[in-house]
Amino acid sequence: MVQSTPPTTTIFGLTPKELRARLQQALLYFLVILVAVYALFPFYWAFVTSFKTESEMFQSATYLPRDPTLENYQYVFSDGSFLLSLRNSALVSSAASIFALVAGSFAAYALGRLRFRGRVALLYVVLSMTMFPAISILSGLYTIVRQLGFFGTSLSLLVTYPVFTLPFTVWVLTSFFKGLPGEIEQAATVDGCTPFQTFRLILLPLTAPALVTTGLLAFVQSWNEYLFALNFTATNPSAQTVPVAIALFTGESDMQEPIAQIMAAAMVVTIPLVALVLVFQNRIVEGLTAGAVKG
Amino acid sequence: MSEKRKTSDRRLLVNALSVVMILIGVLTIALFCLTVLNDPGIQLVLNWTPGDDDRQAPSLLLIFLERFGIIVSALFIGAGAFFIAIGWRLRHGHIRTAYWARILLLWLAIGIGAYIALAIFNILNSAAMDREPVDWGALVNEVAPALLVMLGAGALWYWVDRNIDTLFSGEDSLIGRETRLAWNLLIPTLTIFVLVAARPLEQTFIRSLTDKRFAGSAVPQFVGLENYANLLTIRADTVACRRSDPDDPCSTRANGAIRWESIDRELLRAGYRTVAYIPVGNDQSIAISGLDDDFIEAIGTTVVFTVISVALELIIGLFMAMVVNSKFRGRGAMRAIMLVPWAIPTVISARLWELMLKDTSAGIFNKILLDLGAIESPLAWLADPSLQIPTAIIVDVWKTAPFMALLLLAGLQVIPSDLHEAASVDGASPVRRFFSITLPLLRPAIAIALIFRTLDALRVFDLFNVLFGRQQLSMATYNFETLVSNQLDGYASAISVIIFIFISIFAFIYVRLLNVES
Repeated sequence: MVQSTPPTTTIFGLTPKELRARLQQALLYFLVILVAVYALFPFYWAFVTSFKTESEMFQSATYLPRDPTLENYQYVFSDGSFLLSLRNSALVSSAASIFALVAGSFAAYALGRLRFRGRVALLYVVLSMTMFPAISILSGLYTIVRQLGFFGTSLSLLVTYPVFTLPFTVWVLTSFFKGLPGEIEQAATVDGCTPFQTFRLILLPLTAPALVTTGLLAFVQSWNEYLFALNFTATNPSAQTVPVAIALFTGESDMQEPIAQIMAAAMVVTIPLVALVLVFQNRIVEGLTAGAVKG
Repeated sequence: MSEKRKTSDRRLLVNALSVVMILIGVLTIALFCLTVLNDPGIQLVLNWTPGDDDRQAPSLLLIFLERFGIIVSALFIGAGAFFIAIGWRLRHGHIRTAYWARILLLWLAIGIGAYIALAIFNILNSAAMDREPVDWGALVNEVAPALLVMLGAGALWYWVDRNIDTLFSGEDSLIGRETRLAWNLLIPTLTIFVLVAARPLEQTFIRSLTDKRFAGSAVPQFVGLENYANLLTIRADTVACRRSDPDDPCSTRANGAIRWESIDRELLRAGYRTVAYIPVGNDQSIAISGLDDDFIEAIGTTVVFTVISVALELIIGLFMAMVVNSKFRGRGAMRAIMLVPWAIPTVISARLWELMLKDTSAGIFNKILLDLGAIESPLAWLADPSLQIPTAIIVDVWKTAPFMALLLLAGLQVIPSDLHEAASVDGASPVRRFFSITLPLLRPAIAIALIFRTLDALRVFDLFNVLFGRQQLSMATYNFETLVSNQLDGYASAISVIIFIFISIFAFIYVRLLNVES
């Protein structure tokens, strides 16, 4: 027998090329699921734990609560203090990120776009602000916060959070401004814009993606901050932020940590952030991408 | 005739403005000096009488540095000098000087306004704290003089702004305009940096030379470099291994490690404690000992933690970034899911891991491993010293690999896709494409992600604090324990300075090696 047509072996009714594509597709989805499990499993565990009873904490772990309960959530919302700390966190983080955006975009425009003596030196000064741990300025900040009379109020956090929000914001926005073409200003100057008008009316709208990214990062950083919040607001329950409030949860008995309640609170705190990230995720990548061009 | 009159009027006004500016400058410096002299701390030293407790007199320099510091003094005196200089040059009637004068007046008014707002806030707040009615009389007394000065400066600014073109002459340059705008725009950022970063950092440097205690009332004294000497003194001695009998082989511990003789008794008495043994040959080793063994150990822990966790984060982050950069359905949602670990506050995620790593089968990690038959009895992830650093690495990698992935994803998106297509047409395998296209083009993004993460990991605090407390210290948690638990502010400040220098060296090496600037 002589074969007249080229051999076409098929497996499950697919040519080798199709099969390869299918396999690649399957592998990709497997990897996607792997990443998802990696990222979500602890979160899932927190979620499940938040519905477990206190006594179940000491029994062998189960993937679903034995008898689901809403007690932990009731505990979290039982007195107004957790809601108050949520409000504090929301206010402080929003104000801190708005301040970082306003001051940061001003500074970044000056550092990225304007010609003046001392520009490079100032850029390095801003970068050097990221080289020490927050703890190393804690005692100095404590003195300053006291001198300003802000100790025990939310204002203490508002003045101290720029330590970590501002350098990052200035850094990303400066590289973003540098990446914009130079003809923009020339055209604007010809049209009779002052440099500040150029900044406000033309350059700022162009940087919107980077503004969203850095604003969101500053918000998350402020929302999660613990050390300053603990040391400057722990004495005043009405000024505590969420991480401090959760860290100071006492639970019903003194003997053990109220871990299930902490997880319930964690759910309440994290879900808004996850929603925020979900809404803005495209913008985040976009903003960083544009910044990375000249990074 | 009237033209001449106008010119002389103009000269008069310009000269008057010049004098006012010089006066403001002189007053600024004088006011600062008066504040220093009337400061309670300075007063205490000036009127110091040796009491019965024969305490050493506090150092005037130290008190001055503690209360005011070099940066703040330089700023006030510099601002005063700037006012004087501008005022002096203003008499030439040049418009460029006038523009600078206008800026100075505006920021003077804003600065005093901020001071007034602060004073009002403080009076209202302390009244609210003490649940007392507000003393409006005291408030007016406190605020009225500043308010008058502010209104004066504001009015002057308004007047200069209105008449700047008629009073002054000359050409403005584009560079001059940009310079002024730049400084105007930078002032908010610079002010906040001086207030919350430069000044506290300066205080940390100063305190590191003293024996100050945190929130204590005792007057601190200069101790020179004593804190640093205590922290950094290390010595190496050769020690023999321990034998029960001179002819026996070296005795070992249960886990097989050789037992070493301790260092000289005199050294132990002087405060030296051994941190590590480095074996040389069969029966000798070099004992590394320091006066503050906790700190030396914390440095070692932090460096090991940083190197391993950043390396793992880079690998896992790169993997995640490449997965979510491929095309598949639900990619947007997946990118958000990837970021979940990073969005959970560290304080909470550390607690969560504490729960998952419980040392019984109530901990899901032990349960999974038991069910798989990988271990026979549950592991004490958090209490067993040999498992503590690996645990910290696992938790940190889980939390921060997504952030690494985010930065790398941004880098991946800039790589043009036709490069990959062309290489693929030329028959390059995916592995080859990864190493010769993706990796080289991703270099800038990797460099920046590495720098950010390394500096962050060296400063690790929340994670160690929640997971281990005092059991396993990182540099930052050791610093915290010294400051907050032991109240040794001077000593803790010296630790901060060492960490700062340590991280700067890392940053410098990184910037050089990865060539970020180009």
